[in-house]
Order: sequence, then C-alpha cells, then structure tokens
Amino acid sequence: MQNQEELPLDAEMESMTSVKVSEADNWANIKDDDIMQQQSAIWAKEAEKLPFVGDKEPLSSLAAEYQSGSPILLEKIKVLNEKYAGIRRTRGDGNCFFRSFMFSYLLLKGLLGCQIKEHILVSQDREEVDRITTNVEKCKKTLQSLGYAEFTFEDFFALFLEQLESVMEENEASISHDELLQRSRDQSVSDYVVMFFRFVTSGEIRKRAEFFEPFILGLTNATVEQFCKSAVEPMGEESDHVHITALSDALGVPIRVIYLDRSSCDAGGVSVNHHDFIPASGDLPSVTAGGPETISPFINLLYRPGHYDILYPK
Amino acid sequence: MTSPSASSRKVLSKIACGRLQKELVEWQVNPPAGFKHKVSDNLQRWVIEVNGAPGTLYANETYQLQVDFPEHYPMEAPQVIFVPPAPLHPHIYSNGHICLDILYDSWSPAMTVSSICISILSMLSSSPVKQRPADNDRYVKNCRNGRSPKETRWWFHDDKV
Repeated sequence: MQNQEELPLDAEMESMTSVKVSEADNWANIKDDDIMQQQSAIWAKEAEKLPFVGDKEPLSSLAAEYQSGSPILLEKIKVLNEKYAGIRRTRGDGNCFFRSFMFSYLLLKGLLGCQIKEHILVSQDREEVDRITTNVEKCKKTLQSLGYAEFTFEDFFALFLEQLESVMEENEASISHDELLQRSRDQSVSDYVVMFFRFVTSGEIRKRAEFFEPFILGLTNATVEQFCKSAVEPMGEESDHVHITALSDALGVPIRVIYLDRSSCDAGGVSVNHHDFIPASGDLPSVTAGGPETISPFINLLYRPGHYDILYPK
Repeated sequence: MTSPSASSRKVLSKIACGRLQKELVEWQVNPPAGFKHKVSDNLQRWVIEVNGAPGTLYANETYQLQVDFPEHYPMEAPQVIFVPPAPLHPHIYSNGHICLDILYDSWSPAMTVSSICISILSMLSSSPVKQRPADNDRYVKNCRNGRSPKETRWWFHDDKV
C-alpha cells in the first residue's frame, strides 16, 4: 500500500482486505511494526480529511468528484439534482451506514427537523420518541431472550435513549443542531450509538433467522449466528441490505437508499435506482401512516459501492 | 483496531470500570467451566487459570491467561496472552501471544471475558497436534521490544483449529 494518498474513501475496507492477502505472500519481508504504523497513518489521514459526520455540502460537490470520471455517473448526478439539494458525507470506516442513519434520524426528529421537513410537527415528536422507545424496549427483550447478558448492551441502549431525549424540543436539556453535530463527531458518543444499532440489528436478524437465512447465504457461507458475530456485531464491519432491512424493521423506521453506480438501463436514458426499506411490522412513524404505497421515507442515503452518505431532499 | 499501544496503560474510563465490575459479578455467579479467576483489587488486569478440558491433548494441564483492559473497554478489545510457559498449540506463540480473530479484528463489545475464555478453551480442545506455529521463532524475535499482540497484523488463515 504505497499509494495511500490515493486511497479512495469508499474503498477503504476493501483495500484493507486485499492487503491482508497480499501480505501473506511476502509475509517474511514485511515487519508488522511497519504495517501497523502505516495503517495508523492512513487512519489518521482519513480522520483529518473527514470527521465521522461531515458538513452539509451542495450536491455540486458530488459532481465535482467525478469531473473527469464516468459520464454515466455525471448524468446520474444531474438526475439526482432534480430531487436532492445536498449531501452530508460520513467517514468511510465501515460504520458509515449506521452513522448516517443516526445523524439523519436524530436530526430530523429534533428541533431543527421541523424547519427542514415541515411535515414533521413538533407535536408529533413526543409521539415518535415514545414509539421508538417502545421499539427499543422490544429489542432489549429480543437480546435477552437470545441469551445476551444485559450488561453487554445496557450502556449502549442507555446512551442512545439519552440522545433521543436530548433532541426533543420540550426537553429542557434539548440540544442544538451544532451540538448534535458535535456529538456525532465525538467518538465516545458516536461509536456507542453505532454499537447500539449493531446490537439492535443483530438481535433482529437472529430473532427472525429463518427469514434472513437465505439472504445471508447469498452473501457468505456463514450461519445466521456466525454472520451476526462476524459481520454485524464488530465495529467497522460494513452494512449490506441484510443490516438495513433488520434495522429498519426493528426500529420501525423506513429508509430510502439511492444507488449511484455505473449501471445504465437499456432504454437509453439514465435513471437513478433507489430501494425503499419499509418496516415489515406495520408499525410506522405517524407521518408516514396510510399504507406502504404512500410511504415516503424521510431518511435518504446515497449508496456508492462500499459507502453510504446522507442526502437531503429538496 | 483503534488502539494505539499506549491506550492499554491508561486508566479505565468510567464506562469501562462499570462494565468490568458487572462482568466480575457475573463471573463470580457463573464462572465458565474450566476457568478460575483469583479476584484481586486490580480491575484492569485479570489473571485467569485455565484447565485443559478432559479428553483433549491438554487434559490435566494448567495455564495462566493474562487479560489487560484498555481505557475504552469494551469498545476496544482487551489484550489477552498466556503467561509463559504457554500451551503448545499451532496458534499460540511461545511468548504467549494468541492468534485468534475475536481478540483483534473481530472483537465486539457484545463479547465478554467469559466468552473469550470459552473461545480459547474451544481452540485448545480442537487442536489435533501439540506444536508451535510455523513462524514462531521469527515472530517471537520481532516481539522482543515488548510489543502487544494487538499491534500485530494477524492473518487468520485457519478456521479448522
């Protein structure tokens, strides 16, 4: 890995995997110390370039990235421009899906959420917090029934509920947008919330193992339990549609993922695909009530192979 | 993965302390079979006695595990080594370092000292042969500066043992 300068954000995890393999070939020639040092340097550089959650940027900054790149991608970004106004990048450390979800959810549910999305009324926020709190309680029961010792997850659950309460307007300790951003960038808060989501996701997958098994078999040879232990619960493991489905179902929060890749349709014109993850339970935020066909998720994530960022609708 | 070498020497955070106290209580109520932990007033370092499981290559043998907790446990993995003499095993180096993914890349806060112990005993029990890793001498020589195994880039190549 000599070209660390050029290491693209979104390819970070993949490139690490390949390093492992190539290292094995000439294992004898490389000193562990050197590798570790180089890796810490890469991570430090990453952190410098981008906090866990970045600042909001206009969509034009996305186009700028591909200036001399694929014309298909540039065409697709033009299409995105019709519906989306901005992007907020997250660090490519394998936790980007959970981090994007955390920030979008808490922000939109918070005080400023009312200004960003008029239809989420302040009066409904208490209702939403209660609804999520109920779902979080269910997740706790799920983990207990799966045999997780309570002390392994309780700190993470408590910290998430604290964040949820703190974005409520009528709460005296209510925090501002800047404060939420600071917390999302503070490792001691941000990583704990990410880990909370990992627990919730893992619990949901294992609870509905029969449902998730075929999807997991499509990704890896692992059993459902092995998958959760190796690809969900450790920090830094990337998220796939299995993770997103499970988190969306467990918390009852719809998520839209917009795909920006090089695929093009046969018909000639360029279109941007998206997939809506709609909770299976029928337990939905009140703003989206009215049946699955009318649901428009308020969490919009931009997916580029290996990475998720937050998108802001117009 | 986020652990610089110095972190293990820092004092435990408040969260780490609380979590370890709970783990200690749980251990006392329900210790994993084959392990003994002599409780001391040092919460940050546990020394645990391991007894090889009956019917395995390590039956009737006793070893000691040393578990050091970093400031940000459980977000960061503890450092787990055998106090030499370490068991003869294809994944255990003579300096006590253990090649086991859950201690490094695959660590998760969902794991506990108890679950680590169970994994290590299972690794011992499934060994078909008592021998050192092929690269033992070179690795141990490279570690002479007192390096933590958490600073090693492990390559987990064998899922059979």
